[in-house]
Amino acid sequence: MGASILIADDLSFMRMIQKEILTERGYTIAGEASDGLEAVEKYKALHPDLVLLDITMPNMNGLEAMRKIFAFDPRARVIMCSALGQQNLIVEAIKAGVKDFIVKPFKPERILSAIEKALRI
Amino acid sequence: MSSPASGLAASADDPRLRRAFLEEADELSQKLGESLQALEADPSNMDTVNEVFRLTHSLKSESAFMGFARLSELAHRMEDVLGLVRGGSLSLGRPVMDAVFSGADRIAETMAALAKGGTDTQFENGAILRSLSAAAGTRAARTGGAGPAAAVGPAATSPAAPTPAPVPALPERSQAGAAAAGAETGPTGETLLQGLGDFERAQLAEARDRGEECLRVTVTVDEAEPMKFPRAWLVFAALESAANVVRTVPALDGQPAEDAHYARMSFLLTTSDPEEVVRVASGVDQIASVKVERCRFDDLLSAVTARAAEADAGAVEAGAEAGSEASTTAASAALTGAAADTDSRTPTPPEKTSIRVDTKKLDDLWSLIADLVLNKSRIAHVSETLGKGMDPEMAREELAEAFDDLDKISGGMQQAMMDTRMIPISVIFNKFPRLVRDLCRKLGKSVELSVSGEETEIDRSIVEALSDPLTHIIRNSLDHGIEFPEERVRRGKSEKGRVSVSARRQGGTIVIELSDDGRGMDVPGIRRKAVGMGISGAESFTEAQLLDLVFLPGFSTKEVVTDLSGRGVGMDVVATRVRKDLKGDVALDTVPDRGTRVTLFLPLTLTIVNALLVRGGTQLYALPLTEVDSTAKLTSSELRGEGGRESAAWEDEEIPVFSLGALFETGRRRSDEYFALVLRHRDRRAFLVVDELIEEREVVIKPVDDLLNAERLFSGVSVLEDGRLVFILDTSFIRRENSDREAPWAPAS
Repeated sequence: MGASILIADDLSFMRMIQKEILTERGYTIAGEASDGLEAVEKYKALHPDLVLLDITMPNMNGLEAMRKIFAFDPRARVIMCSALGQQNLIVEAIKAGVKDFIVKPFKPERILSAIEKALRI
Repeated sequence: MSSPASGLAASADDPRLRRAFLEEADELSQKLGESLQALEADPSNMDTVNEVFRLTHSLKSESAFMGFARLSELAHRMEDVLGLVRGGSLSLGRPVMDAVFSGADRIAETMAALAKGGTDTQFENGAILRSLSAAAGTRAARTGGAGPAAAVGPAATSPAAPTPAPVPALPERSQAGAAAAGAETGPTGETLLQGLGDFERAQLAEARDRGEECLRVTVTVDEAEPMKFPRAWLVFAALESAANVVRTVPALDGQPAEDAHYARMSFLLTTSDPEEVVRVASGVDQIASVKVERCRFDDLLSAVTARAAEADAGAVEAGAEAGSEASTTAASAALTGAAADTDSRTPTPPEKTSIRVDTKKLDDLWSLIADLVLNKSRIAHVSETLGKGMDPEMAREELAEAFDDLDKISGGMQQAMMDTRMIPISVIFNKFPRLVRDLCRKLGKSVELSVSGEETEIDRSIVEALSDPLTHIIRNSLDHGIEFPEERVRRGKSEKGRVSVSARRQGGTIVIELSDDGRGMDVPGIRRKAVGMGISGAESFTEAQLLDLVFLPGFSTKEVVTDLSGRGVGMDVVATRVRKDLKGDVALDTVPDRGTRVTLFLPLTLTIVNALLVRGGTQLYALPLTEVDSTAKLTSSELRGEGGRESAAWEDEEIPVFSLGALFETGRRRSDEYFALVLRHRDRRAFLVVDELIEEREVVIKPVDDLLNAERLFSGVSVLEDGRLVFILDTSFIRRENSDREAPWAPAS
């Protein structure tokens, strides 16, 4: 069974795309979250191997969610999903310990290789 | 290997993706229209600004994925404008609003066309894009253009401001130069090794003395990486995990220069494990090449640093010969420049939090303040006439009356202030229809949602924290409670499941119920599981006790509870949020095949509570009145059972007896008669023996530090006027086992 991945994005369309790419490669979708709060709670409940965390989300944004996840599990593997123009936010996330980031719109190979590398670390 | 062409390459043509996109983007577009109208009505509302920003951002991302470049660009420009508004550098005047509105209209038109099978290219957005740029541009002209659009070139950024750190270290090199320099050491290498500052030298010297090695790592970021600056940071972070990075060129601190600047990064570092450095550097994704070279500490530290440093000195010498000294100054200037930059960076403005308050509530507050002012002058009058020989008895009466009024006014003001914190729970409930609809679609189930009591008001902070647990419970209902239509029909139920959500106020408590008419929970199964897990006493647990286990962290794991066809994952998360963070409680009841109900009990507010003040030893404690049924006197002859497991009769029930002295190990006074409170926690009651009943009063709850509250006996602390500390007891302890010797909160044994 492939590593389990939690997908956090407020847009169901984005989650659908990610889910398709990941399941096709044999990963397990641990769960989906549509905002930061949910991402944190799902992380705590599901203990996924990796989280794909969108930056721009309602209720609690991805950065804050990332901090909460790291507070809960300092060894969490987190990959941020961002859009162009969010450089500074990504750098903040990197300082906090995220494993990688991907920029939307991304190609399937990009997300897959980011995940593969992150899982190897 | 699966083909990379799967999924996205064919995105715009994949009918499923296209449908998903149309559905969600259309909703985003509609919401955008609604939010803009709200924004027009109240342009100062930052929540709405943020919402509009997020909606345009989402539309941009989704349409980019689908390859709708025009739509994406339009949304992107709108996002830029809203970003400026959000950052406070652009105000929402008429022209800006108009531009944004026309953008939103065009998005709606485009969505309509796409829904009918059209494309976004049939729309010519030039004029709208120009008006959006103009809207954003007005601002650039006004504030001097340090905004995102002003990133011109690496060396020629904003004219007056001191250039950010990386620039002095990168003389006159053009973008083309960076690319052409390619894999060779080139100019970046020079500046990396030249003109080391004192601090860098000291770091190198120390590393040499520790026996470490010195490496120069040159990394080329993959051309396909759209954001090279953060990528460079990622490399830096990776290297730092295996080494001490002494210097980075271009520098990464301070404000980033143009992104292409960071296509090629050089790091000077020291490490005890060069192989690990290679490993971590090549572990970073989106890197085209990594080159690692050894440097000699002595060369770097000698006076003629730059010249002799490396074998590939050809290019180096040319630069260093003339400029050794100059570049030293340049480099230290860059360093001090960077330091100054950090200090002088615009101080982050203190976060403004604002709330919206119904004006009626403010009016109430105003009229109370008017009363207060009247009352003040009344007291002033008494004090004045008392000096002029007013009858003291009359003055006393007058003052007593004034004091009575004051009491009423302050009570009213407190209530009015609290009211400003109250918002209707509809804020959360309104999300449920969509949630249910989405879940139904996803799960292939059919559910009718009924909502009631959404006007019930509750403290703002509670509402915010409640959204998640409630969402979670509804998800669980749909995921695990409600059966698939066929199964429902087989069981003689209506095809459509029912989920009801209600809120009501019950005294000082808000009760929220979420129920479904699904399959219910498998209570015997939970008991088997509990016994299997070795939870002692589980054989004889009541149904309520068994259901409460679902809230235990270890218990409600996926495997366990889904097996039991009960709740899904994470009821423990719900319980923690409700019980610990919100000082409330949650209960489950269930009837097989008839459904499950989750009931949340929440305090009206987290800040002020009516409480009974009691003393145990020398310490004061407060008990929320909502949880005190009565006070009683117990005589020693009424106590049954051994020390630690005592109980006594109350009404028709035999209930356990706790004592403050035992709970806090201050020792229990032996006597023939005890003062006790009858506490109630949900369905459970217990006596609590106290040393003294002091008074009933309001206390302001402050959070209590976890260190002081390891046993979770307190829900907060309060400080009295005279400075004495009062611990507010969390009465849920009565649900735990009572014992004098053992901690009364230990799990049943």
